[in-house]
Amino acid sequence: MIHDFYNIFLPQSCLILFILIELVMSFFTNIKKYNLARPISAFGICIAVLLLTSVQTEPQYFGFFNSVMSDNYTLLFHFMILLCGFFVVLLSKNIDQKLKKSGYMFQALLLTAILGGMCVVSANDFITLFVSLEVLSFSTYFLIASTKDYFSKEASFKYLITTAVSTGVFLFGVSYLYGVSGSLDLNEIYEIVINKPHSMLFSFSGILIVLGLIAKLALFPFANWVIDVYKGTETSVLAYLSTIPKLALFGIICRMIVFPLGRTVELTFVLCFIALITALWANTYAIREKNVKAIFACSSAANASYVMLTASLVSVYNLSTVIFYLVSYVIINICAFSFLNIVESNNLGFNLDKFKGLFKTNFGISIAYVISILALAGFPLTSGFVAKIYLFSAIAHSGLIFIPFLLILLILTVVALFYYLKLILPIFENIDEVKNFKCAFSQSFVLYITAIITVLIGLYPEKLIELCRFIAYNI
Amino acid sequence: MDNLISIPLLIFLPMFLSFFVLSPLFTSNETTIRRFVKTFCSIHFLYSILALVLYSPAKSYISQIHFFGLDWIQALGIKFVFEIDSIRLILIILTSFIFFLASLASKRVIRKNHKIYYSMFLLLMSAILGIFSANDMFVFFLFWELELIPAYFLIGGDYGKEYNDNAKKSAIKFVLFTFLGSMFMLLGILLLHFYNYTTTGILSATFNDIFTASLPVGMQLFISIMFLIGFGVKLPIIPLHTWLPDAHTNAPTPISMVLAGVLLKTGAYGIFRFNYEMLPEAFKIIAPILAILALINIIYTAFVAYAQTDIKRIVAYSSISNMGLILLGLCAYNQLGVSASVFHMVAHGLVTCGLFMICGIVYQRFKTRNINELTGIASVMPRLFAFALLIVLASIGVPLFAPFISEILTIMSAFFSELSLVLKFCSVFALPLLILSSCYMLKFLHLSFYGEQKSGLENIDDISTHEFLILISIVVGLILFGIFPNGILGVI
Repeated sequence: MIHDFYNIFLPQSCLILFILIELVMSFFTNIKKYNLARPISAFGICIAVLLLTSVQTEPQYFGFFNSVMSDNYTLLFHFMILLCGFFVVLLSKNIDQKLKKSGYMFQALLLTAILGGMCVVSANDFITLFVSLEVLSFSTYFLIASTKDYFSKEASFKYLITTAVSTGVFLFGVSYLYGVSGSLDLNEIYEIVINKPHSMLFSFSGILIVLGLIAKLALFPFANWVIDVYKGTETSVLAYLSTIPKLALFGIICRMIVFPLGRTVELTFVLCFIALITALWANTYAIREKNVKAIFACSSAANASYVMLTASLVSVYNLSTVIFYLVSYVIINICAFSFLNIVESNNLGFNLDKFKGLFKTNFGISIAYVISILALAGFPLTSGFVAKIYLFSAIAHSGLIFIPFLLILLILTVVALFYYLKLILPIFENIDEVKNFKCAFSQSFVLYITAIITVLIGLYPEKLIELCRFIAYNI
Repeated sequence: MDNLISIPLLIFLPMFLSFFVLSPLFTSNETTIRRFVKTFCSIHFLYSILALVLYSPAKSYISQIHFFGLDWIQALGIKFVFEIDSIRLILIILTSFIFFLASLASKRVIRKNHKIYYSMFLLLMSAILGIFSANDMFVFFLFWELELIPAYFLIGGDYGKEYNDNAKKSAIKFVLFTFLGSMFMLLGILLLHFYNYTTTGILSATFNDIFTASLPVGMQLFISIMFLIGFGVKLPIIPLHTWLPDAHTNAPTPISMVLAGVLLKTGAYGIFRFNYEMLPEAFKIIAPILAILALINIIYTAFVAYAQTDIKRIVAYSSISNMGLILLGLCAYNQLGVSASVFHMVAHGLVTCGLFMICGIVYQRFKTRNINELTGIASVMPRLFAFALLIVLASIGVPLFAPFISEILTIMSAFFSELSLVLKFCSVFALPLLILSSCYMLKFLHLSFYGEQKSGLENIDDISTHEFLILISIVVGLILFGIFPNGILGVI
C-alpha cells in the first residue's frame, strides 16, 4: 500500500495537500493585503508536475488493489491536465478580484477538479472511476456558479441536471456490465470478455457506459447544456471547462474503447452516429450565433465530435491521432480563452461587434487570437492543420465504410470555417474609436505562450507525434 | 554553379519577409515598405531567371528540408520535398514576374493599411510558389490552404479608393468556395495516400512514390473526381465558377492581376499533376467529359462576357473562357497538349495581367468601370490606347503574339488526340468559337476607347512611367514569345 503511494500517487497527494492549504488559508481572510490564493495553487501545480517524474510507468503499474493504474498514457494526460490547470490558475485573476474573500475557496475547488480529472484518467475500476467522476463534476458545479450571478447559477443548475442524468445512465451500464462479467476491474473484465462469445447485453452495457460519460463532452443526447452554460460562465472557468474535463473523459473513454468495450461493433456505430449528429448540430447552430462564447461552445462540441468519431474506430493508430488532436486542441483552446479573458477584464462584452478595430490598437494580442482561431479552423503553419490532417487520415485509413462519414466531416469543416472567420474578421475592421486594452502579465503570458506552442507544433510536429505514437502503441 | 539556386530560399524567403513586414520591427512608412517589396520582387524575378539559365532538363532541382534531421511527419510519410522540373520552372518564373508587375502596380492603388497589404502580398507569393514546387501531396495541400489567408485579406481588405462593401463578401465567397474544394481534395489525397500504402507498402506522399496502376478503376475514378472538384473550383470549371467574377472585380488592380495571372493557373497545374500524371487510367475515362465541360467554359463565358457592362467583369469572364482552353489542352492527353497548355498559361497570364492593368488605369482616371459611361479614352490617353490595342489584339489571337500560337497548338493537340472522338469534336467546335473572344474584346475596346470624347475630361494624365513600364514589359513578353515560341516550348 505504501509502495503504491510512493510509486504512483505522489502528484495527486501533493494536490490534496495544497487543497488543504487553500482551505486552511480561507479561514484567515483578514489578510486582505496579500491575496495568496493564486500563487499557492500555481505553486502546488508546479510541485505536482515535478512529482510526475516520480511516477512509475514502465511496466504498467497497478496500485491500491488494482483500482488505480499508471503508464505512459496516464502520465501524458496527467501532465496535460496539470498544464491546463496551471494556465487556468494564471487566468483566474479576474474572478479572484471579483470573489475577494472566497478566492481561496475557488482555488481549492479548481485544484479539486484537477485532482478529479487526474483520478478519472488513471482509474482502473468502475468504483474508482465513479468516485473520481463525482469529484470532477461536483467541483465543476461550484466553479461554474462561482460568480454567483443569475446566469452562472442557471448554467450551473443546467450542468448539474444533465450530469446527474448522465451519471444515472453510466451507473445503469456499469450494473449491466457487472452482471455480464462479475467484476468491476477493467483488466478482469477484459480477460473475461475476451474468452466469452459476443453477447448483446455486453454491447448494451458498453453503450450505456459511454453514453453516460459523454455528457460532459457535450455530445449529442446531452448536448443542449453546452451553449447556455458557456454563455453564463466566467472565461477562466470556461478555459477550465473546455479543457480538463475533456482531457479526463477522453482519456478514460479511449482507454476503455481500446480495452474491454471496443470489442463490440454496435458501440462503434452508435458512437459514429452520435458524433455525426453532434457535428451537424453544433456546426449549423453556430452559423447564426452572435455571441462569442456561444460560438466557442459550438466549436468545442464539434471538435469533441470529431475526436469521438475517430476514437470509436478502434485502432492504436487512431488512438495516437486522438491523443495528438487532444493535446493540440486544448492548447489552442486555452489560447482563445485567454484572449476572451483579457476582453472580459476590460469589460467589453462578448458581442462580435465589440471586437472591431482591435488589430490596430492591440497588435500582439489580436495576432495571438487570430493564430488560435486559424488553428481551430485548421489552417497551415498552426498545430490545427497537422491535427486535422492526422485525425482525418485515421478515419480514411479505417476503411471504405467510413468514407461517407469523413466526407460529411470535411464539408462540416467548411461550415465551421464560416463561423471561425466570423470570429476574427471584425478585428481587422477600421473604426474611429480607439480602445487600448489593458492586460495583466499573467494573462498575456498565457496568451503568448500558448500561441507560440501552437505555431511551434504546427511547424515541427514530429516529436509530439512520435510521443503520441509511442504512447498509443504501448498501451 | 547548381548550388547557386536554392529552392527553399526561393519559396520561404517571401514568407519570412512577409512576417517581418507585418511585425512592429519593420517601419510603417508607406514608401519604404513599397520600395522594399518592389526591390525584393525584382531580385526574386532575376533569381528565378538565373534558375532558368542554369537549368538543364537532365538534372532538375530537388531539395528536401529536414527538421532536425527528420522528415516533417513520419507517421504519414510526409516530407518537405521540393522539385523544380521544366513545367514548374516556367510557372515559377511566371509567378515571380507577375508578382513583380503587381508590386509595381500597387503604387497609386494602395493608400491604406500598407503593412497588411504588403505582408499578405508576399505571403501569397510564397504560397503560390510553394504550390508550384511542392513534390509531396500534403505539402502541396499545405500551401494550397495557406494561400487562402492572404488571398482573403488582399481581396476583401480596405486599401483605399477601389474599396467597396462587396469586396468583403466576395472575399468570403472565394475562401469558402476554395476551402470546400480543398476539403474534397484532402479526401482524395488521404485516400490515394492510404491505397498507395496498402498496395505498395511505401508510406510516402511524394508524387514520385505514388503508383496507382494496381488501384481499382472505380476507386481511381472516385479519387479523380474528388481532385477535379478541388481544382475545378480554382480553375474554374463552369458550375463552380461563381466566386471568380466577384472576387476579380472587387479586388484591387494588382490583386486582380495576380489572381487571374497566377492563381487560376494553380488549378490547371493541379489537374496536370494529380489527375493527369498520377491517375492516368481515370483521367482517360474522364477526359472526354472534361473536354465537353471545357467547351462549355469557352462558349458560355464568352456569351456572358459579351453581356457585361463592367470592364473588369468582361476581363474576368474572358479569363474563365481561356482557362477552358487550357483545360482542353490537358484533356487531349498527349505531349503537345501539355506543352500547349503550359504555353497558354504563360500567354494568358500576361494578357490578362495587362488587361486588368488597363482596367485599373481607366478606373483610376475616370472613376467608373461601366462600359456605357466610358467613351473616347483614345483621344485623351493615346499611349494607353496603343497598349490597349496591342494587348487586346494579342488576347483575341492575332498572329505575332503568344496567345495565337498557344491557342492553335491547344486546338491541334485536341484534334490529334487519340483518346476519343469527343476531343476532335470539341477541337472542331472550339476553333470557330474563339471568334467570340474577339467579339467581346473588341466591344470592350470599341465602346470604351473609340467614340467622342466626353467634356470635362481634358486634364486627365496619360499613363505614368511605372504604368508604362508594366505595360511595355507585358507587350514585349507577348511579342517575344509570339515570334520565338521555342523559348518556352523548348524548355518543356
